[in-house]
Amino acid sequence: MLRFIAKRIVTMLLTLFVIMTLTFFIMHAIPGGPYSAGKRLPEEIQAALDEKYKLNDPLYVQFFDYMNGVLHLDLGPSFKYEGMSVNDLIAQGFPTSATLGLLSMLFTLALSIPLGILAALKRGKWQDTFVSVITTFGVTIPSFVVATLLEYFLAYRARLFPIYGVAEWKGYVLPMIALSGYSLAFITRLMRSSLMEVMRSDYIRMARVKGLSERQIVLRHGLRNSLIPVITVLGPTLAGLLMGSFVVEKIFALPGMGRFFVQSITNRDYTAIMGFTLFYAAVLIVLVFLVDIVYCIVDPRIQLTE
Amino acid sequence: MNQISQSDWAPLTAQEQQSETLASKPVSQLRETLYQFSRRKTAILGVVLVVLTILFAVAGPSLCAHTYDEQQLSYVSVAPVLRVYEVGEKLYYVPTNGKLIEVEDGCLTNAVRSKREDGKNKRFVFELEGETYYLNYRNSPFTLEDTEGNELPTRRVLNKTYPLGTDGLGRDILVRLMYGARISLTVAFVATLVTLIIGILYGSISGYLGGTVDLVMMRIVDIISSIPLTMYVILIMVLFGNGGLKSIIIALGSVYWVDMARVVRGEILTLKKREYVAAAHTMGSSTWYILRKHLIPNAIGPIIVTATMQIPSAIFTEAFMSFIGLGVSAPMASWGMMCNDALETMQLAPYQLAFPAGAICLAMFAFNFIGDGLRDAFDPQMRK
Repeated sequence: MLRFIAKRIVTMLLTLFVIMTLTFFIMHAIPGGPYSAGKRLPEEIQAALDEKYKLNDPLYVQFFDYMNGVLHLDLGPSFKYEGMSVNDLIAQGFPTSATLGLLSMLFTLALSIPLGILAALKRGKWQDTFVSVITTFGVTIPSFVVATLLEYFLAYRARLFPIYGVAEWKGYVLPMIALSGYSLAFITRLMRSSLMEVMRSDYIRMARVKGLSERQIVLRHGLRNSLIPVITVLGPTLAGLLMGSFVVEKIFALPGMGRFFVQSITNRDYTAIMGFTLFYAAVLIVLVFLVDIVYCIVDPRIQLTE
Repeated sequence: MNQISQSDWAPLTAQEQQSETLASKPVSQLRETLYQFSRRKTAILGVVLVVLTILFAVAGPSLCAHTYDEQQLSYVSVAPVLRVYEVGEKLYYVPTNGKLIEVEDGCLTNAVRSKREDGKNKRFVFELEGETYYLNYRNSPFTLEDTEGNELPTRRVLNKTYPLGTDGLGRDILVRLMYGARISLTVAFVATLVTLIIGILYGSISGYLGGTVDLVMMRIVDIISSIPLTMYVILIMVLFGNGGLKSIIIALGSVYWVDMARVVRGEILTLKKREYVAAAHTMGSSTWYILRKHLIPNAIGPIIVTATMQIPSAIFTEAFMSFIGLGVSAPMASWGMMCNDALETMQLAPYQLAFPAGAICLAMFAFNFIGDGLRDAFDPQMRK
């Protein structure tokens, strides 16, 4: 177990290093400095800015400076927000994004597992068809379309929810639904096929032979093993939810990281883009790692040393 | 020992002959797959939708009177279904910019400016047919009233000049949808083609050579796929600036091959242990020949299915990128960009959002249906 964890941590650090290097060199390969997008600055100011942000140093020096900063958990100053560091931007946006992501995750699980079970148990009946129609919609309709539809009908037309912002708890409801669409459909399908597979296995037949009630068979024997594939995809799903929040945050004007990230792209705020990418990657990698550990604890058949 | 009698030499009857042949003609894999595919209604629907979209994108623009970047500032945000006021013999449509548009037989003929603005009462004053009318902009939507303040009778007519209306800059939404379809389809097919080539090469080399090569190659894939692909696409798009279609295709192609490489490697790993590969190897076939002639053709099912499944994903990513402002550059139209443009005026002109959003959904449905159909057709376990 410990060896597995140590090995994974080394891989994670290596991955983060590669991502940092990649983003650094991609950002520095862009022709023109971070100030060349807007109006032309006077030469002296340009020189002073270059001096301040050490843009005159050779690239490798800048790279080691940046790496040094990252090791001290300092992602550097933002080019566009005067006096703000990228750390400040993340600290401002992350709570909202994390709340939204976790809420969507809970919403997804609370709906998709019962729906998946229902579809698997009523295979071929109208309930199954109903669930499959829902999941088809969930997989095909992009989150930004769902978000705008929800905003138009429920917030603007029916005035049930605020149109933007999270000043009150209701503000989270629509973004949460919009964000969950895809993962909801995906996990429902997974749950359905996984439970159907488990229900065909020998130990379920054994439970039937013992004369257990259908309810006991499903809840105590079927469900446990069929949840394992669902746990496997929790990490990537959470990653997807965090990524999807870019547009949803933009549409509902939530003060989250996604919005800052999109803004930093349009502003060509290179340090912010680098910092956000690295932060996202770190969060996702750690999440996937945690899920993997949980996965191994839940299912003793999986060997950690592998 | 039995004697061979004369009757043993007699020719077989037709029935006896038939019992010696196989039950039915062997069916080629392609045929069987196509047959299975065509039995699914949703798959056929998907194909029909895709063909219609291609026609819409290729032939559509030449049938329309407008171009994608032609702006008619007098006809800004004109709805597809016009709610017109009857003023005597004539019909007038009230757009959102404080003018009146004369409508004749569903066609927009002429924009009428107001004589003056009565700011105190929030209304524009119009002289039509020698009489005074007021365009009241206190209400939403604006109303046209006579001098006594009564709303004039209204009627609904279809907009024949712009069948799907115009956007906030007075551009024809129908034509822009067609150009958007071109962008989406180009991105989808070219990106998928690039992924196919890179993914098949990478995956088959990794899977067939195995050992250290495989380990290193797969570690690279692991690192790439440890953060969401969308993020790389964003980074690459930032690197290329707003290079338009080309950069989006490069961005997608350079990242999306990862899934394909994994699928191909998995297939090759199982296939390479087969006897026919060993036989080919014994006969001195080169690695490349074995891959090309034996392994890849046998893995074609999962490859095609993965590629088809990537098409909707590519369409979605392009729309997503355009939506956050990283797609093709204006005035070119893309569905995602049209959605983004329509977002601001969603409350006044929801149709501007509905058409591109609907188009994205339809395209996603169509390609997903085809993908599902192909997956089931290639998978013998799904056959009943």
